[in-house]
Amino acid sequence: MASLVRLGNAVGAMGIAIVLLVAFGMQFVLQELPCPLCLLQRVALVLCGFGFLLNLRFGVQPLHYGLTILAALYGAAAAGRQVLLHIVPGTGAYGSALLGLHLYTWSLILFVAVIAGVAVLMIMGGRPDHDRSDHQTALRFRGLSRFAAWLLIAVTLADALNSFVLCGPVDCAPDPTGYWIAKYLP
Amino acid sequence: MTALILLLMGVAMVVAVRGQRGIAIGLFGVSFVLAALWLNYHIVDVLNLSL
Repeated sequence: MASLVRLGNAVGAMGIAIVLLVAFGMQFVLQELPCPLCLLQRVALVLCGFGFLLNLRFGVQPLHYGLTILAALYGAAAAGRQVLLHIVPGTGAYGSALLGLHLYTWSLILFVAVIAGVAVLMIMGGRPDHDRSDHQTALRFRGLSRFAAWLLIAVTLADALNSFVLCGPVDCAPDPTGYWIAKYLP
Repeated sequence: MTALILLLMGVAMVVAVRGQRGIAIGLFGVSFVLAALWLNYHIVDVLNLSL
């Protein structure tokens, strides 16, 4: 059962990285720039992934799951706010729909799914890995776990660069029409 | 600010992978507080929930 929980955490970390890559794809392929609330939802996804990463590196512990749940609640608040901004008929929407729903609606569903997924992993997890030494947990941090962690790190750093190029060091335009960095390029 | 939060999280993850759990969780805490303040900054407008 422990290896299944470990696999669940790896899938969680990788799933979050893949969702962030899909958001990147929509940004670059469809030329749809993310709004400030959209970027905050990406931040929330990264924060969620951190708890999974800690479980992969240091062993499964309730503290790590707590961080993921806290981040998912934060993300649900950001996504829920954006859903409510467009919930009244005739108030428009932001961006294209994917499979009939806009990204912020998918995002809200995803954050609820993360909370549900963490609940299942906690039920399956049994005893936490408190008794394992750092050396033991480090030895098990290989293969899929290591790949999932580094994929999440790479996507997070790419997202940091993307946010800086889009918004600059401080605030982002509510409805961005171009990249902030373009003002400084010849 | 969003870029800074994401950068902090990237650093926190690298620190975690290298085995410094306490520092990594501390960086997560700082990032989370900044993210919460940044969300609060962006949601000050009044919501219209009916026609």
